[in-house]
Amino acid sequence: MSTQDNKKPGQGEDEVKTTGHFWDRDLCEYNNPLPRWWLWGFYATVVFALVYWILYPAWPIGDGFTKGLASVTYEHGDEEVTTHWNTRALLYRDMQTGEHAVRQRDMLEQVAGMEYAEILQDADAMSFVNAYGQGAFGTWCVACHQVGGAGVIGQYPNLSNDHWKWGGKPEQIEEAMVLGRIGYMPGYRDRLSEQQINDVSAFVLSLNGYDMDADAVEAGERVYSGHDAGCIQCHGAAGQGIESIGAPNLTNDLWGLVDVHGAEDDQARLQRVSRFVHDGAEREMPAFSEFLSDEEIKVLAAYVHSLGGGQ
Amino acid sequence: MSQAATTAGAAPAASVASTEQYNYAIVKKFAIAAVLWGVFGMGAGVWIASQLAWPFLNFDIAQITFGRFRPVHTTAVIFGFGGNALFATSYYVVQRTCHTRLWNDSLATFTFYGWNLALILGVISYMAGITQGREYAEFNWQIDLIILVTWVVYFLVFTMTLLRRNQPHIYVANWFFMSFILATALLHIFNNIEVPVGLFHPDSYPMFSGVQDAMRQWWYGHNAVGFFLTAAFLGMMYYFVPKQAGRPIYSYKLSIIHFWALIFLYMWVGAHHLHWTALPDWVSTLAATFSILLLLPSWGGMINGIMTLSGAWDKLRTDPIMLFLITALAFYGMSTFEGPMMSLKSVNALSHYTDWTVGHVHSGALGWVAMITFGSLYHLIPRLWNVNLFSLKLVYVHFFLATVGIVLYITAMWVAGIGQGLMLRAFDQYGNLAYTFTESVVFLHQPYVVRAIGGGLFLTGMVIMAFNIFMTVRSGIKAEARARREAIEAEARTA
Repeated sequence: MSTQDNKKPGQGEDEVKTTGHFWDRDLCEYNNPLPRWWLWGFYATVVFALVYWILYPAWPIGDGFTKGLASVTYEHGDEEVTTHWNTRALLYRDMQTGEHAVRQRDMLEQVAGMEYAEILQDADAMSFVNAYGQGAFGTWCVACHQVGGAGVIGQYPNLSNDHWKWGGKPEQIEEAMVLGRIGYMPGYRDRLSEQQINDVSAFVLSLNGYDMDADAVEAGERVYSGHDAGCIQCHGAAGQGIESIGAPNLTNDLWGLVDVHGAEDDQARLQRVSRFVHDGAEREMPAFSEFLSDEEIKVLAAYVHSLGGGQ
Repeated sequence: MSQAATTAGAAPAASVASTEQYNYAIVKKFAIAAVLWGVFGMGAGVWIASQLAWPFLNFDIAQITFGRFRPVHTTAVIFGFGGNALFATSYYVVQRTCHTRLWNDSLATFTFYGWNLALILGVISYMAGITQGREYAEFNWQIDLIILVTWVVYFLVFTMTLLRRNQPHIYVANWFFMSFILATALLHIFNNIEVPVGLFHPDSYPMFSGVQDAMRQWWYGHNAVGFFLTAAFLGMMYYFVPKQAGRPIYSYKLSIIHFWALIFLYMWVGAHHLHWTALPDWVSTLAATFSILLLLPSWGGMINGIMTLSGAWDKLRTDPIMLFLITALAFYGMSTFEGPMMSLKSVNALSHYTDWTVGHVHSGALGWVAMITFGSLYHLIPRLWNVNLFSLKLVYVHFFLATVGIVLYITAMWVAGIGQGLMLRAFDQYGNLAYTFTESVVFLHQPYVVRAIGGGLFLTGMVIMAFNIFMTVRSGIKAEARARREAIEAEARTA
């Protein structure tokens, strides 16, 4: 069957039309004319190419090129410029007078001109904030803060809960975007003993309603308020935190840098908090004023505020 | 037909004589290498496709992550599977159609070791993170030199064999092989002009920079498609389709015209990979229009192949090898229609940087290149070892797995590519972009799963082929040993 060499072709009328060349026993070729549809199809593509070349930049000549008949009009300063068709002019035109660009620019200016309090109350404005913010957040913020602002425990703050180290008012969120933020807590491995670290960690957990060893909590409270640790200076006497320096509240059972809720039992929770106190942390959010306009930042701040936990 | 041609055309009937008249040993080596690279390269492809669908599969091992393994996949399938198959078939076809033995056995053997050494070094170096970062030309400069020497020797062996032909006319398949060898030499050399950092340093500085370098790279990249993956495989088609069909080529005239049109036009179109970039607009225009002009010349090969079967269509019912060859031509026609459409600037604005491109490449690579190679190898390998194929049923199984695999693959990529393209250009009622890039990535997950499944089916077919070929070759070797033993015994008896 098919795996064996085939018989010679060319019985009857077939033989008349072959070219007469023979190879490898039975290879030969008819000399059928070019299919008409194929030929006319090819001519049609030639016509297409010629028309294209007449309309658009096409052939290089010396240092220049044929410009073509098609043109683009765009604004340059106060003047209207008409030039031969080219992709850069198309971009100018689209960004200046394109339907979507104009509509977006108008909305951005209109909403950014309002006070935050007004924006948050205005359904139309918030509709734009959500639509615009989703894209801008997806472009600039999502790499760290994740989809929906969920954040990564231990790395990037969650923006969708009530935990705001630096304050959750729209103005404070805007400030964070404009200036960037550097958060720092020193590691206590050199200042406190292991025992002290464990005690103060037990105390902090107890502030959040965890049922820790009473002796450890008592000892921990002394460390918390004492000179060696000085926790009180940033986190406050009652552990309520200080927004202006980004020191978090330690009493609301919301944990950004330590995965307390992911731990199995009190022992594991204590271990995780102790490890954090031992190592300390340093985190930085870059300033976005270099990349985004004031209007964009304002709308984005309103968007972040609306993600869940704004104040 | 002249008497002389008939006499010259009468190859010895017994294949024992054939092995003496022709150098089959080298063809066998390349054919087996093609099958092995096929299994490895397609396996690598399914692996990285699965990583895209389920990213945890990279297991945080740098050597097997997508970035390093993707060039392993492309190198193994294009140059390993495709390249070895082209060496095998071109060496086979040039001997059979010139009625002469391949010029210089040792240099031919050298091309086998040179080529495969370069590929193995390439695979190892990519996994080690050494790459030029030029798509389909990732080999660092030392490996480039090995390839260069190998290719020049290939050119010599092929040309000398052509010159020593016992046949007045050069068969059309050889035109295509010759143009492929010449163009690939040109492409490889020009795209790799670079200044090495040091003798023992893998890195080098390219001669050009910026948009000029990008144009050079895509002039190379697209002509690798045009000459390596198209012209050369048309050479394969021009021998194996008429051979398998037992029919004459449909039109000599068409073969001449579409050959010259194809090789003239292909050289212009590479810049269509760079639409809407820093590329000058006039370059973009030329690339787009020449791509449109290329449509019908590309189809010339398809017409000549498919019409060769006219009058013998019934073979499609009985011959699975013919099914491979004809389906390959159908996919060739489809992807050479899709290509010019995608090269138009307005279509490209949607398709570029999406998986539509990946789908297009694979409808050509799986549908055309791999299918025509499968058909040719199924025809070739039993003849090399002078046995029947182990199982025609398994060829059917392979055919259906491959076809279903391709269809799943390319439809998934159409959905992924067009979907992503539309998402990235969608606006909401305020003029904002409606979707973020991240959302388009989330959307891609399901098509990626389907693609991985399609690729898995295609790979399964390839593995079945490898098994079929293994059993075929094994029976061929056994039969040969038996024949030799009987000959010795017969000699002993007469003595």
